[in-house]
Amino acid sequence: MADNTPKSISAALAAATCSLLGTAPATPVQAQEEPNWEFNTALLYYGENDDRVQDLSLNILARRLFVDDRSLTLGLTVDTLTGATPIGAIRQNVPQTFTRPSGSSAYTVPAGELPLDDTFKDTRVAITAAWEQPLGRLWKTSVGFSGSQEYDYTHLGLNGSLSRDFNARNTTVSAGLAVAHDTWDPVGGAPLPFAPMLDVGDTGNKSGSETKDVIDTVIGVTQVISRKLLVQLNYSFSNSSGYLTDPYKVLSVVDGTTGDTVPRQPAPGAEGPSHEFRFENRPDERSKHSLYGQAKYYMGGKVLDASYRYMTDDWDIDSHTLDLRLRWPLVESHYLEPHLRFYTQSEAEFYTISMVDGVELPRFASADYRLGKFDALTAGLKYGWKTRGGKEMSVRAELYRQNGTIPGDLLIGNQVGRETYPDLDAIIVQFSYRFSR
Amino acid sequence: MNRARIGGMGIAVLVILASGCSSIGVEPWERDILAKEEMQLTTDPVEAAIDDHIYFSKEASSGGRGFGGGGCGCN
Amino acid sequence: MKLYRLRHRSMRTWLAAIAAAQFLLFPWAPDAVSAEFGIDQYEGKVVVLDFWASWCVPCRRSFPWLNAMHEKYADEGLAIVGVNLDMERADAEQFLQEYPAMFTILYDDDRQLAEQFEVVAMPSSYVIGRNGKVIARHMGFKVKQQDDYESVIVDALREPGNGDE
Repeated sequence: MADNTPKSISAALAAATCSLLGTAPATPVQAQEEPNWEFNTALLYYGENDDRVQDLSLNILARRLFVDDRSLTLGLTVDTLTGATPIGAIRQNVPQTFTRPSGSSAYTVPAGELPLDDTFKDTRVAITAAWEQPLGRLWKTSVGFSGSQEYDYTHLGLNGSLSRDFNARNTTVSAGLAVAHDTWDPVGGAPLPFAPMLDVGDTGNKSGSETKDVIDTVIGVTQVISRKLLVQLNYSFSNSSGYLTDPYKVLSVVDGTTGDTVPRQPAPGAEGPSHEFRFENRPDERSKHSLYGQAKYYMGGKVLDASYRYMTDDWDIDSHTLDLRLRWPLVESHYLEPHLRFYTQSEAEFYTISMVDGVELPRFASADYRLGKFDALTAGLKYGWKTRGGKEMSVRAELYRQNGTIPGDLLIGNQVGRETYPDLDAIIVQFSYRFSR
Repeated sequence: MNRARIGGMGIAVLVILASGCSSIGVEPWERDILAKEEMQLTTDPVEAAIDDHIYFSKEASSGGRGFGGGGCGCN
Repeated sequence: MKLYRLRHRSMRTWLAAIAAAQFLLFPWAPDAVSAEFGIDQYEGKVVVLDFWASWCVPCRRSFPWLNAMHEKYADEGLAIVGVNLDMERADAEQFLQEYPAMFTILYDDDRQLAEQFEVVAMPSSYVIGRNGKVIARHMGFKVKQQDDYESVIVDALREPGNGDE
């Protein structure tokens, strides 16, 4: 094909005509050869170390395609969650007894162990629906709905987006908005701020349900850099207001010198906490800013997906996320995809390990490890292939590890050396199946 | 850093990028590689949603990812 | 019935207005275009020049329609030329195995035609009248606008060879 002579339409036409003669006359192709439905399903197992959280979930996304790039996407997720989660109280050298959130019974944690509450057996169902379509030639829009329900939490949300292409579609500017109204209906009721944990059967420290409103906005630019490189840059702003506290998390009330949790006697004949604990209290407002950049780079068949996100909020948390994936094609349509994710966050301004007895209450305090200072690493591998019938399958296995540090100035007396961040080790296994019809 | 200033900077960066990008890119017929499924910004929306949910539950940050752009640039 | 005809007429006027506007806004010198493309081959015919590639999904959607137009109007003087812009010839050939074309296929290897016609979208089709002048340009292919595309062709076929557009 190395014909470098100046363009000769006639010659080209002649060659083209030859190719046409070569094919047998065929009946015109039927119009609807494109699939009407695209299905994307996944089964996920998530399991943490030491009897902590385990989650099994089924995810289904069904996309109905309509004429001229319009589509309706419906999603369903069902998760079952079991296992225990740290409640925020510190370890002690003696056993500790806690009242369950329901207030109907108590449980004891052995000496030296991190207090975990294992009442978390929950099923969550989440649905999403989204309609996408072009508007004119250069604009695209989508509107969607999301909802989820678990036994103590309801979420309802609406979202919409708009995007426009520029520069022969090399540049795309997009904007999105999502609003949500969530309701907490905690088991036993939402505790009053810093309310003490009371004996079994005593609900004086609890109120009813609470709500939270969230507004999320994102604007972004996607730019084609070259035939092999695509980049995107987004700025997001999120504001949450309402009940942002975790109704099940507590802080240990400790002696100001020894750092040991203050002991307590339940009422005669009653079961109750063996030590002093107070329910946490977070601000009723949170604003987050994020800057996110992503690049996809094609390297002779392999595709590198690299992204970085910087997040900062008015709780004083800063985080950096670096995510790297490399799609490595193998024979036929098999591929391998190693994945590495690096994450680091700084602790919230009101994050603390314990509350000192007899001292004036702070405005806000939480010992939730998820608001602490930690690094996390995810390392995973995914293997994918296409079946003879054109269906796509893949399986991935990942390890997620969180390693935290407790800022030295938060540790008092005997806590030093005894209290450590509840490091997390989790395994993620997912099986995916995608097909169209 | 002042939050509002970060917000303003973020928007300014994006506006500058959008307007300054008019000469970068490829011809419409050079989008064969960009049209491939593996070159889309989100190759698997279900996996992305699963990961977002896991990390949202275990960390203090969430989201950031956007949508739109790239691809075959058709129609 | 009356309402339908009125709508149809005003759409044709609208299309003619768009065509005229494009004609005025874009610096195509119609004679230069005709000469370079080798329009003499198609003198007196209405030519639909359709730029496509195998990886372009709307291009795939347009093939059945292009085939239908060819079947319907080839006898009346319609010539469809599918200009392929694939980077790899093999991809185009494989595509044509799966979606055969009844019309002429041209391989624009050095992109001269694409640049000459200032292709800014995929697919792009240009309707060239019997007098060799570009009447209309369509960027993209929308199944819902097939009838509009067809009426532009029908109007072009109605015009005599030396008419003024």
